[in-house]
Amino acid sequence: METAKEQAAQYTLEPATDIPKSNHYYLNMGPQHPSTHGVLRVLLEMDGEYVIKAQPVLGYGHRMHEKMAEHKNWMAFMPNTGRMDYAAALPFNHGYAALFERLCNIEVPERAEYIRVITSELNRLVSHHLWLGAFLLDLGAFTPILYTFDDREQVLDILEDITGSRLTYCYFRVGGVCKDIDDKFVERTRAYIKRQRERFKVYNELVTGNIIFLKRVEGVGIISPEMARRYGATGPVVRGSGIAYDIRKAEPYSVYDRFDFEIPTGTTGDSLDRYLVRLEEMEQSLRIIEQALEQLPDGPYLGKVPKKLKLPTGDANFAVEAARGELSYYLVSGGGDMPYRLKIRVPSYSNLSLLPELAQGMLIADLVAAMGSLDLVIPEIDR
Amino acid sequence: MHPATEKLVNELNELPVAVAACDYAQRGYHYEVDVAADQVRALAECMLKHDMYLVFVGGLDVKPVPRVVYQFASYTHPGRFVVRAAVDENNMVPTISDIFQGASWHERETRDFFGIVFADHPYLKPLILAEEDVDLKPLLKTEEALKDISEVSWPAASDVSSKPEAKNKAEQG
Repeated sequence: METAKEQAAQYTLEPATDIPKSNHYYLNMGPQHPSTHGVLRVLLEMDGEYVIKAQPVLGYGHRMHEKMAEHKNWMAFMPNTGRMDYAAALPFNHGYAALFERLCNIEVPERAEYIRVITSELNRLVSHHLWLGAFLLDLGAFTPILYTFDDREQVLDILEDITGSRLTYCYFRVGGVCKDIDDKFVERTRAYIKRQRERFKVYNELVTGNIIFLKRVEGVGIISPEMARRYGATGPVVRGSGIAYDIRKAEPYSVYDRFDFEIPTGTTGDSLDRYLVRLEEMEQSLRIIEQALEQLPDGPYLGKVPKKLKLPTGDANFAVEAARGELSYYLVSGGGDMPYRLKIRVPSYSNLSLLPELAQGMLIADLVAAMGSLDLVIPEIDR
Repeated sequence: MHPATEKLVNELNELPVAVAACDYAQRGYHYEVDVAADQVRALAECMLKHDMYLVFVGGLDVKPVPRVVYQFASYTHPGRFVVRAAVDENNMVPTISDIFQGASWHERETRDFFGIVFADHPYLKPLILAEEDVDLKPLLKTEEALKDISEVSWPAASDVSSKPEAKNKAEQG
């Protein structure tokens, strides 16, 4: 095993400044640091309070989901999909179910597609609530998390009623969803939308205009559109940099093309822009849910799916917009009912990979703000 | 086809690579590209020039030689490319981490899981797996499970123009 110093010395990013090496020291941020959310370790080469190099060290939460996918049949892997991004599990369910529907030409009843959209968007709201509270907690503001978690509980209660769980959902099935929604669900969701709109005012009053908050995030961690592209960043990170890229619009899946919603974008690509983009995204999710509840058709919630699914030989890809960006399942099949290979492309992985370049020359306190604004979920990166 | 995609495909056709259009509804991507290891860098540069971003890099263990799978897409228009590159005789593929910086981690992960070496990668150390598991290569198939590339590809991959339509008709009939 190498020492931390040797590890960092081999890392090839050129230092941002020509400060004499003798002043440098090494610092481990994580794996238990509260602002790395989960088990991420960032190896920092520091000069005083300035970051010279930052190198994320991954793998503490690695479970080898891709190998498990090759050894379970298509149905048995579904619970695994909810255990990667624990904050927004339903889009992961969605991508996996839809992948097999694409590959095997399975028709999904319209009602099921609507239920999927409604619950996925509710899950996106839950995820953004969690991020909002935790991000501001990282910046030293303790109060907002009490407000956002209050709202988050409302949604979790609604989702718990129909999915049976509060965090690692396994609600979607190939061909539909496993349980129908009822009038009570619709009623509660409508009430929640009304309540949430009121709460945005509270968020804005409490946080958005706050001078301490603005000083911490404005101009911090600027990601240019060109940089985002070189790293393959997606989701709110790339939208904060001014690129209106959203899989829900770019490659519309399910019934997303039937709803009227906007893709919020930022201008400078700093942490504040990413904050504003996510806040606006929450409003857009409410709009989608509202329209979907309005249009919700009657009918079955689970289509006809053969008990034994025989996969054709070949490969297929399915991309969905998860809460953090583009999630792609790329499946290679050699027939039978188990994938030959399943590659899971998770959004946080690419979003975090730009950290070494982003962190160069940054104050360590700003690094906390910049990392928080990326909205990382480490078990998703480690898989 | 979007004009930007058309331009990219035309430029790709000038390289010694095989580009085939695919049925998006069936496969979820628009183009399939087969490439030799020594053309990977030229292809990546072409992708960068045409405003594509790197979705992922992964491995695929097949006979006769393992493949490295790249996927590219665009922020501005629909056009998803799946690129398969066969490794060379030394189990190597050149790195594209200096072209798409985001490839660096993906390549390290592929080295972890498949043992495929990315030539000239600046820091090809284990990323996801622990340091001592450098020879584990968990996603390599056993002798019995290993399949030929033709057994995991859509049938009649060589017949470029008529493939998606013919396949659909066969399924309907």
